Amino acid sequence: MATLTLTWQRLHLGRWGLLFVVLLLVAVPLPQFFAPERNLVTDSLLFSLTQMFILITLASNWNLTGGLTGYVDFGHAVFFGVGAYGTGILMGQPGWEPWPEALTLWSFWPAMLVGGIVAAVFAVLLGSATLRLKGPYFSIAMLGTFVAMRELVRVVRPLTGGGLGMTLPPYLNRPLFYYLTLTLAGLVVALMWWIRRTEFGSTLIAIREDEVGAEMRGINTTLHKITAFWIAAFLSGLVGGIWAYQNAYIDPDVVFLPNRTVDMVMMTMLGGLGTVAGPVIGAATIYWLRDVVWSNLLLFHQIAEGILLIIIVLGAPEGIMGVLGDRSATSLPRLWRKWFPSTSSESEQPA
Amino acid sequence: MNLSDLILQAVINGILIGGFYAVMMLGFSVIWGVMGVINLAHGEFLMVGAYLTWVLNRQYGIDPFIALIVVLPAMFLLGYIFQRILINRIIERPFLIALLVTYGLSVAMASTVKLIYKADPRVTDTALTGFWNLSDGVGIPATKFYILIAALIMMAGLYLFLQYTRLGKSIRAAAQNKEAARMVGIEIGQVYAITFAICIALTGAAGALISPTTSIFPFMGPVLTLKAFAITAMAGLGNIPGALMGGIILGLVENLIATLVPGVGSNLGITSSFILLVVVLVTRPQGLFGGLKPAEAR
Repeated sequence: MATLTLTWQRLHLGRWGLLFVVLLLVAVPLPQFFAPERNLVTDSLLFSLTQMFILITLASNWNLTGGLTGYVDFGHAVFFGVGAYGTGILMGQPGWEPWPEALTLWSFWPAMLVGGIVAAVFAVLLGSATLRLKGPYFSIAMLGTFVAMRELVRVVRPLTGGGLGMTLPPYLNRPLFYYLTLTLAGLVVALMWWIRRTEFGSTLIAIREDEVGAEMRGINTTLHKITAFWIAAFLSGLVGGIWAYQNAYIDPDVVFLPNRTVDMVMMTMLGGLGTVAGPVIGAATIYWLRDVVWSNLLLFHQIAEGILLIIIVLGAPEGIMGVLGDRSATSLPRLWRKWFPSTSSESEQPA
Repeated sequence: MNLSDLILQAVINGILIGGFYAVMMLGFSVIWGVMGVINLAHGEFLMVGAYLTWVLNRQYGIDPFIALIVVLPAMFLLGYIFQRILINRIIERPFLIALLVTYGLSVAMASTVKLIYKADPRVTDTALTGFWNLSDGVGIPATKFYILIAALIMMAGLYLFLQYTRLGKSIRAAAQNKEAARMVGIEIGQVYAITFAICIALTGAAGALISPTTSIFPFMGPVLTLKAFAITAMAGLGNIPGALMGGIILGLVENLIATLVPGVGSNLGITSSFILLVVVLVTRPQGLFGGLKPAEAR
C-alpha cells in the first residue's frame, strides 16, 4: 500500500487525476450491467453517455488551441464536419459517375482514420493562413471558414449529396460506440494532461501569454501553433467519423450545426480555460443541464440557452475550476462582488 | 442576352447591393472602433428592425421607406437599453467574453422572434417599384436604387454627425484615446451608450431597407454579421468612405461569381466574402483604407 501511494505521488496526478481514474473505473464496466428491464442501465443511458463523451472529447480538443495556445477558435467544428464527411464519403456511395471503385464502401475503421487524417491535413493548410491572424480576427476567420464549408458542402452535390445529405450503412451497437467514445475521451484527456507538462505544452502557454516574447526567445511560434492546431483537428475529425457512423445519416445542417462550434467554447469556458479537467467538467455539466432544460422548456430552450451562456460568461469567466481554486471566494457576498463588479467602476478608475 | 450583358447586369446589381452592405456594416464597424466590442448579435438587431418594419407594413400599411421614421427612434431606444444593461459590462474585458456574450444574445433574440412570428420567410410591400431599361434586358431595379439612395443619405448623415457635431467629436475622441477623452471631461459611459444606440438605429434602418427586396426570417442574422465583419476588416474600423468601397467590392464579387460560375447560385456568396477576407487580412492587416484607428488585436 505504501509503495502504491508513493507511485501515485510520483505521477503528480493530484485530486483531479484520482477522480478521473475513479470515473474511468466506474465507466468501463458499466455496459456489463446492461439491463433494460430494471430501468438502470438502459439503451438511452448508454446513448446519453456516448453523446457526453463526444462532447468531452471535442471540448478538450478545443481547449488545446483555444485555452492553452490562446487562439480562440469559433469554427473548430469545421474539422468535426470534415471528418464526418470524409468517413461518410468513403463508407457510402457518392453519386459521381466516374467515381473510383476503390473509394466506395470502405469498412468503418480505415474510413474513420482517413477522415481524421483529412481533417488534420485541412488544418495544416488552413492554419498556415489563419493562425497568422491575431485575436478576434482569427476567431471570426474561423467562424467564416465554418459557414463557408457548410455552403461548399451544399454546392459540391456529386460528392456530398448536397442539401439532401447521404446515408451510411446503419449499424446499431450501443456498447461499441460507448467504448469507442469512452476510449477516445480517456485518451484525449490523458493526452492533454501529458501535453500540459511537456515542453510543448509550456511553449503553447508561452505563446498565449506573450507571443512576441516567445518568438524572441527563439521559439518557432508558427510551427507550434500549427502543430497544436492539427492535433486537435485530427482528434475532432475522428470524433466526426464516429458520430457520422453512429448517426448513419449526414447532411450539411446536422453536421455543421452552428451550436456545435460555440458549444465547445461554452463548455470549456464553464469548466475553466486552459485546464485539463475544465472541459470535462464543463461538457458534462452542460450536457446534463441541457437534458433538463430541453425536456422541460421545449419552446423556450434556445432562449434559455442564450441567456444561460450570457450568465455563465459574465458570472464566472474563470469557470468552475477558477471558482474552486479561488480561496478568496469563500463567502457568498464576496462571490457576488467578484462576479458582478459594480458597473460604475470605470469612472472611478485612475485615468 | 449575351455574356457582356449578363456581366453588366451583375455589376449594376453588385453596386446596388454594395450600398446596402455599407450601411448594414457601419454600425458594426463603429461599435468595434469605439468600444472594442465585436457585436455578434449585429445581424439579429437588423432582423428585429426588419420585423418591426414588417409589422408596420402589414398591420398599418406603412411603406418601408416611411417606416424609417418609426424604426430609427425605436431601435435607438432598444440599443440604448441593451448597452446600459449588457454591453456596458463587457467593454473593458477580454474579447472572448464580448464574443460569447453577444453570441448568447444573438441566439436568444433569434429564438424569441422565431417563437413570436414562426420561421417562415416574409417580405414587405413598397410603392417604389419598377425597372428602368438601359438596353434590352439590362437595367436598374428601382427599389434597389432607392435603397442605395437612402443608404447614401444615412451614411452622409452619420459622417457629418461624427465630423462636425460636439457629440460626434467626443465619440471620435473616445475611439482614439479613452483616457485622454476622460481627462478633458467627456462622460465616457454616456458616449458609449449613445454610440451603441445610434449604431443599432442605423442597423435597424438597414433591416427596414432590405425588407422589400429580400425575404426576412428569424435566422437571417449570422450571415449578415459575418459579411459585416468581412467588410469591416477590409475597410478599417469606422471608416465611412472605406465602408462604401468595401461593400461595393463584396457586392461585385458575390454577383459576378453567381453569374459566371454555373450551378452555384448565391450560395457561394459567404464563401467568396471569406476568401476575400482572409486574403486581405493576411496581406494588409490594417485594412485597405485605414479608419477611426488601426484595427489591432486586443
